[in-house]
Amino acid sequence: MRGFGSTLGLYRPGAGLLYRLPLAPKAAASLGCATAVVGWGSLPTTSTVLVLALAGLLIGARQSVLQTARMLLPAAPVLGILALYQGFSQGWVQAFVVVGGIAGCLLAARSVTLTTPLQVLLDGTASLARPFRRLGADPERFALALSIMLRSIPYLAGLFVDVREAARARGLERSPRVAVTPLVLGAVAYAHRTGEALAARGLGEHDDEEDDRGQDHGSVVG
Amino acid sequence: MIEFIEAAVRSDDDRHTLLHPLTLSLVERRISVIGANGSGKSTLLRLVNGLRLPSQGRVEVLGRDTRKAGSTVRRSVGFVFTDPLSQLVMPTGREDVELSLRTRKLPAAERRLRAGEVLRRFGLEHLADRSIYDLSGGERQILALAVVLAVEPPILLADEPTTLLDLRNDRVVRALLAGLGQQVVFTTHNLDFAREAERTLVIDGGRVVFDGRPADAVSFYRSLSAQPGGGPAGDGHLLP
Amino acid sequence: MQPTEKTSPGPVTDGRPSSRKRWDTTDLSLVAVFAALIAALAIVPGIPVGPLGVPITLQTLGVMLAGAVLGPGRGTAAVLLYLAAGLIGLPVFSGFSGGFGVLAGPSAGYLIAFPPAALVAGLLARAVLRSATRFRTVLLFLACVVASLSTIHPLGVAGLMVNAELSLRDAVLVDAAYLPGDVVKNVIAALLAVSVHRAFPRLLARPRA
Repeated sequence: MRGFGSTLGLYRPGAGLLYRLPLAPKAAASLGCATAVVGWGSLPTTSTVLVLALAGLLIGARQSVLQTARMLLPAAPVLGILALYQGFSQGWVQAFVVVGGIAGCLLAARSVTLTTPLQVLLDGTASLARPFRRLGADPERFALALSIMLRSIPYLAGLFVDVREAARARGLERSPRVAVTPLVLGAVAYAHRTGEALAARGLGEHDDEEDDRGQDHGSVVG
Repeated sequence: MIEFIEAAVRSDDDRHTLLHPLTLSLVERRISVIGANGSGKSTLLRLVNGLRLPSQGRVEVLGRDTRKAGSTVRRSVGFVFTDPLSQLVMPTGREDVELSLRTRKLPAAERRLRAGEVLRRFGLEHLADRSIYDLSGGERQILALAVVLAVEPPILLADEPTTLLDLRNDRVVRALLAGLGQQVVFTTHNLDFAREAERTLVIDGGRVVFDGRPADAVSFYRSLSAQPGGGPAGDGHLLP
Repeated sequence: MQPTEKTSPGPVTDGRPSSRKRWDTTDLSLVAVFAALIAALAIVPGIPVGPLGVPITLQTLGVMLAGAVLGPGRGTAAVLLYLAAGLIGLPVFSGFSGGFGVLAGPSAGYLIAFPPAALVAGLLARAVLRSATRFRTVLLFLACVVASLSTIHPLGVAGLMVNAELSLRDAVLVDAAYLPGDVVKNVIAALLAVSVHRAFPRLLARPRA
């Protein structure tokens, strides 16, 4: 799981219209697809979403049909069962409307993550929080929390492997409690260390009350 | 300039005294702190950047009270931990240095440029985009130093910065610290390293029991540790 | 390489504001690390259960833990951060890869239920930890059960009905397949939360005056 950090970004470099398009319209279109399918599930909606998503991936991102089909692989079992259920109980048109709609939304979402580098996604998310600043939201702290979360996943996954091996070494591998307790304790301890390190670096803190005019305090020369 | 004014620290549950009232003024460029595990070295260091607040008295750094201006003080005091992995927050070194520079409110492009410069200065350019998990212990500690020094704090604190390092990396990190323009206060168990300072504090049982020239401090600490039953109360650990 | 230090003298306010304590960096990183913990538990391969194969994963264990360990505020924030990461497309949801697409999927109701679940579990767990000295594990288990029955299951059923167009009866049947696993996960969550609070007693302690 060590390489998780690098595989976490689902971005694959490539060429095409979708790669050149900024994040905002892509994300809006993907969200629009999901909203339409949930809100107005019907044959025209599903057909439109599917056509849009497939056109986006095949033409906009220049993916092959095989590459596109592979994107649905993780969801295939659930979608297959759902298709059979709907087909036998409601008819095959209804099965297409439900399953096709979900598949279209998944592909639309995938076309965004495929064509947008991770850093752009993260920056975009942080800027999304900006309008909420008046309500007390802090985009910088939100972005920092997101970064720490991403950094922590490989750490925890590694810890989970270590803990499992240690449990196996003691012959306790069949107890889920033994397998997870050190993981959770380790996570809390790790969070405390990270919190202290952040404070020591002056990151993610609120400014001191007296320091409103001291933003450039200790500024760098050279 | 670091000043302790009758500063004392009680444990979180208020049952033990971790540091007895201490009045001290630190102006030397290199100051080492030695003492057994649990003697209060780390507490002393954490007082300086306000990670720990005194239960009584106060600590002033560059004329600012750590209690009232904690985040301002921390922006001018760098802190290097023993384990660089708990210090590094981002997946790669470059991102971590950029994160440090974020407190300077620079535009993203400028940050990227500066991060590159910092990494070059510490000889880490070729490792900049590697996962921090793929770096050796020594590389990680140098990266942790680079990350902290990227914002050029006038004071640097280092809590046993070489304890986890092998002999060669120990030497590299010590040479790096020796070459810094900053005021550096460090704790260590390595008495040779302690002797490289201009002034050494010996801590035992939460008190500064010796304060003076490093060579004298080291021999004082040796005799203290040699006493039967010596060392601070409640300290029986060999490792931190 | 000598930095400048502008020591600007000026009026100094004494101490922190008397209002509600703001989150410090440790709170921030607890939120982030628990969001990561939920993600890590969700990524561990799940066991597909029931006719719709919505996988049983440790994801909901992570959600309950966030509430029971961090309390309502930070716990809910951790779950929201996790959902935000998944919705912007990071593969942190079980089964489906992330992105807005999951909102149209059959398990959307379960995902939407996570923040209120952490909130309810957190509120109840905090009350238990601050008042009960005995039977803490049992009480925490009940807190998790109440949280999951009042949020995850109703919203999960609703999601199955809206997105997968199941009838109420079928949706409840599908959902029921998860109940036994849920009980087991809530037992584990309670045991873990007690261990964590024993090791870190200050996590949910009453704020000191």
